[in-house]
Amino acid sequence: MESSLDPFFNPRSIAVVGASAVPGKLSRIIMESLDRSGFAGEVYPVNPKYSEVMGRRCYPDIGSIGECVDLAVFAVPASAAVRLMKEASGRVRGAIVISGGFSETGREGRAAEEELKRAAKEGGVRVIGPNCMGIYDTVSSVDTLFVPEDRVRRPPKGSIAVLSQSGSFALTAMDELAVESIGVSRVVSYGNKIDVSEADCLEFLADDDATRAVVLYIEGINDGRRFVEAAKRCSEKKTLMALKVGRHGAGKRAASSHTGAIAGRYELYRAAFKKASIIELSGYEDIIDGCRALAANDPVDGRRVMIVTDGGGMGVGIADACSEVGLVVVPLPEEKKEVLRPVFPGYFTVNNPLDLTGSVTDEWFEKALSVALDGDDYDLAIVAALWGPPHLTDRLPERLAGAARSSGKPVIVCSPGGEYTRKRRALFEEAGLAVFSTPESAVRAASILLARGVQR
Amino acid sequence: MDNRIQELLKEKRGALIEPEVMEILSEYAITVPRSSVVKDLEGARKAAAAMGYPVVLKVVSRDILHKSEAGGVAVDLGDGAELEDAWNEMRSRLKERAPSADIEGFLVEEMVPRGVEVIVGALRDEQFGPAVMFGSGGTAVELFKDVSFRLAPVDREEALEMMRECRGYPLLTGFRGAQPCDVETVADVITKLSIIMCELDRLKELEINPLVAYPDGVVAVDARATLVGGE
Repeated sequence: MESSLDPFFNPRSIAVVGASAVPGKLSRIIMESLDRSGFAGEVYPVNPKYSEVMGRRCYPDIGSIGECVDLAVFAVPASAAVRLMKEASGRVRGAIVISGGFSETGREGRAAEEELKRAAKEGGVRVIGPNCMGIYDTVSSVDTLFVPEDRVRRPPKGSIAVLSQSGSFALTAMDELAVESIGVSRVVSYGNKIDVSEADCLEFLADDDATRAVVLYIEGINDGRRFVEAAKRCSEKKTLMALKVGRHGAGKRAASSHTGAIAGRYELYRAAFKKASIIELSGYEDIIDGCRALAANDPVDGRRVMIVTDGGGMGVGIADACSEVGLVVVPLPEEKKEVLRPVFPGYFTVNNPLDLTGSVTDEWFEKALSVALDGDDYDLAIVAALWGPPHLTDRLPERLAGAARSSGKPVIVCSPGGEYTRKRRALFEEAGLAVFSTPESAVRAASILLARGVQR
Repeated sequence: MDNRIQELLKEKRGALIEPEVMEILSEYAITVPRSSVVKDLEGARKAAAAMGYPVVLKVVSRDILHKSEAGGVAVDLGDGAELEDAWNEMRSRLKERAPSADIEGFLVEEMVPRGVEVIVGALRDEQFGPAVMFGSGGTAVELFKDVSFRLAPVDREEALEMMRECRGYPLLTGFRGAQPCDVETVADVITKLSIIMCELDRLKELEINPLVAYPDGVVAVDARATLVGGE
């Protein structure tokens, strides 16, 4: 489908305006990022100071490229941005203005931003930014980030999109996701959003086959109603989660009613999130946990949870945390108890949570999980795997993953512990299971999976 | 929408007086107490006798938004003598506490029985447009903030969901052996308030506090409204 954001998400050619040959310069790092990301289209460095940058012919100005460029990345001082934007008119379809020094700096910056906006509008150029990081896109292989890859790792290809007003937030989240090999589809840092806003991106992502879930980091929204409409449409097909920061800022309105006195800015954001079926996240940890849960699982509509563990106390703690977020720890049905009793020693209490004790084996874990999830008694499971019991082997994660796959239901793993345990986290990740190191984070992740189903 | 209401709003500034707000609510079929506006004690007596005691007496003034604080509300007046006492007291209290207020009259209103008090409010936000709020806890609502917001308009399902999100919701469903209240009609009021905000774009804030819920219906006992651009 054709979209006005195609220059950003499916460009055929990219110009780097202000490209430098000097290692360490931001514009040079952007060239390196584009090289490394494997972008297949043409890359045109633009800078009158050089005739060549990183082995590519460098053009003195945008006009001399000779063809209309899909995407231009402006890595130039704010003072030059307006002039270059005028030059881009008719020669560039979309521009990412990395440069800071606009409305975020005060009155003069605001005036400069207005000028930039006008120039872009008159020239028919769509703009992301200014004051942003731009795009990291695994679908189109575009990486405009000006941070070196050895400082901030890029996540692999995946199905989670990240929309962030803050560039540093987007980077930090990406770096964390990369460590766990949680894949992303498209990451957009849109900064001061003089043109392309979160609503535009959501409209694009609604029809983007590569994206299954969207995470938003929001500082402030300008056109609330449009945002809600776009988000509503997108959340019909994808899972949307949002973190709104600046919740307790000065948002007091002059009010003559109780309603007005209570309604801070955040209450309205929350009302908007509910209207658009956006899962409300409460902080940074929520974002990472939510991505981890959603990368490995589809959201669920039901809230009946089975808890399987080899640590009785851990099971009870998880059951408590479940009740607090609205997950229901349904007792194990009698037929299933009968199936499971012969598997375990006679002294076992077969119920939910199911405690497999220190005598646990890989087989017991696998059997318990697959019997519990079979049929329609449960919507999801939380497995608390403690590595102390001596019979457990490193094959456990793969066996749990097998049981999870054949059930077709989400399985969240909680595996708290020290050195031995932490080294085994990767085994769960490699098996394709979402693994968490505390009961609270595992349950929070489970609640994010069901928040979508429950809101509706 | 009724043109009369649009006309009424067109010429107003600042805040509406209670009879005007009640008129809007009635127009949208939200139950309000029987009432009449009177100018003098004689009129108050006649109105009270016509609707039957006990009654409530309230001051009507665009300049007094918080009637109770100004001493402009007297409740549970059982007969003519109590009404007369309350009348005289109120007049002298208002002279003291709101000497410059332009008093348009007084409202004699039927005294509704006790029920479960909730608050249903609405406001117009500059970014998100009209929104509605449901809250429990009556007069303590600003303290406990047991409230839930949604962008308007909301449908019945959303309205019920807003109510269930409040900790005080069980008060409406038969807490400690009480008879359950008519939650469907409370939801209906939330929905209607959200529609009013969408249709009457001059309204900035609109609030029913309290809305008293009974096993068989609700009554909007007190209501206030302010207008956009009226400050």
